[in-house]
Amino acid sequence: MKSFILLILLTSYRLLAQVNGDIQVPYVDFEMKKGKGEYSTRGKCNMCHSFGYVINQGNQSRKFWLKKTIKMIEVFNAPIAEKDIDVVVNYLYENYGNREEE
Amino acid sequence: MERREFFKKAVVTASTVAFSSNILKAGETTHPVDDRKVTSIAFPEKRPMIMYSDRPPLLESPREVFTSALTPNDLFFVRWHMPMIPSHINTSAFRIKIDGLVDKEINFSLKDLKTKFKQVELTAVLQCGGNSRSAFHPTASGIQWGAGAMGCAVWKGVRLKDVLEHAGLKSFATWLGFNGKDKAVYSETANFIREMKLEDLDENVLLAYEMNGEDLPYLNGFPLRLVIPGTYSDSWLKMISHITVTKEQNRLFFMEKAYRIPDNECECETPKKLVEKTKPIEKINVNSIIGYPQQNSKVRVNAHIVVRGVAFDAGSGIKLVRVSIDGGKIWRDALLDKGEGGNFAFRAFRYTFKPEKVEKVTIMCKAISNAGDEQPLAKDIKWNHGGYRYNGIDEVTIEVV
Repeated sequence: MKSFILLILLTSYRLLAQVNGDIQVPYVDFEMKKGKGEYSTRGKCNMCHSFGYVINQGNQSRKFWLKKTIKMIEVFNAPIAEKDIDVVVNYLYENYGNREEE
Repeated sequence: MERREFFKKAVVTASTVAFSSNILKAGETTHPVDDRKVTSIAFPEKRPMIMYSDRPPLLESPREVFTSALTPNDLFFVRWHMPMIPSHINTSAFRIKIDGLVDKEINFSLKDLKTKFKQVELTAVLQCGGNSRSAFHPTASGIQWGAGAMGCAVWKGVRLKDVLEHAGLKSFATWLGFNGKDKAVYSETANFIREMKLEDLDENVLLAYEMNGEDLPYLNGFPLRLVIPGTYSDSWLKMISHITVTKEQNRLFFMEKAYRIPDNECECETPKKLVEKTKPIEKINVNSIIGYPQQNSKVRVNAHIVVRGVAFDAGSGIKLVRVSIDGGKIWRDALLDKGEGGNFAFRAFRYTFKPEKVEKVTIMCKAISNAGDEQPLAKDIKWNHGGYRYNGIDEVTIEVV
């Protein structure tokens, strides 16, 4: 009898309660290097994704960061005004650059 | 009975991953980064893993996972494209919709899938096209994964073919578009839609709801995901909720721009001269990895060492794994498991030896597939801008003390 009840419990678990309540992915505060444009860049990138997504691209060229920033605007509708593109790109290149222009 | 406990919202400060400066000459491939530590915090249903981002979640399996032919669900790698993932799935209300060029539009519940169609189990490797990207120099575009953006699981679900047959395909149906429940932050942004040519659909393509005998973990696509054995994971859509059948390809961003390699003989290019004509990454290539011992570990002289690892390819199966314990001069055959998982699965291998001298020993492994493909040395892998399809011969150096 006991195992019968357990079987019913297990069966109902499988059909109904796979995710028990809301999922919460932990929030991770990725440290950013201090530098000119840090605050502005943080705000713009963090609107959509964590800063980990940025720095874990590795150190990259200025052209790379420019292309990525434009992609974020064109493909993902990032709210980065044209006049702010340079601030973001300069910050990323100066702090996460590889000393190559392209 | 298992009760799923989810981690409450927690704030962690992650130190930034340090990247070595670019001292290597252009185009020289090395080994992927192998010294990243797991985080101090676990993500939902996961043990602590190597973490690149929390939003969207990007988690890598540590090397020691690759000592066995199946990867545990709670250490299985995670990669999402869109940051907005529903925080709750109502399993009774969840539907997968199939529309477009079908005789009748379909909205199936999970129960419909589980009761109306034949249940199929299949073991297959799920590997990110950018797995081991950190091996490429200069730094290729994308997350700088080590070697753990992959895993192998037993997937249980129904054949996509059966479900589509139920909907009835129109004669001019040619393309399948897949969409999941994850979303971009801005509503006008294109979803992560992937497309597949109907003629590439075979009986191995599944809509899976179980992984290694459990419901799919949330971060691996609960409650339903695509399984396309033999291909890289870019089209194994997670939380799949919509399939559209069309005549023409929609040519969306994620098909046209992402996950592509140069369409030339060597599938390679240089940073200064990128190849214009590209093709999708598609089939995974032959590969193997050492799960034990770990890099820089110490062992005693005359200790009985069992090197363990896994090997796999796109489905021809693994013919042979060879191991070298002298840095690549002499190669000997490793012992392979019985291969019960089939040709799309990890094949576990082991190799026993006894180090007799106090010295550093470099252990290498290389897989050879039934199709006749053999892994190249890491340095012979050619560069491509996305850092895709790395399959260099793995190596681990240990210290005999």
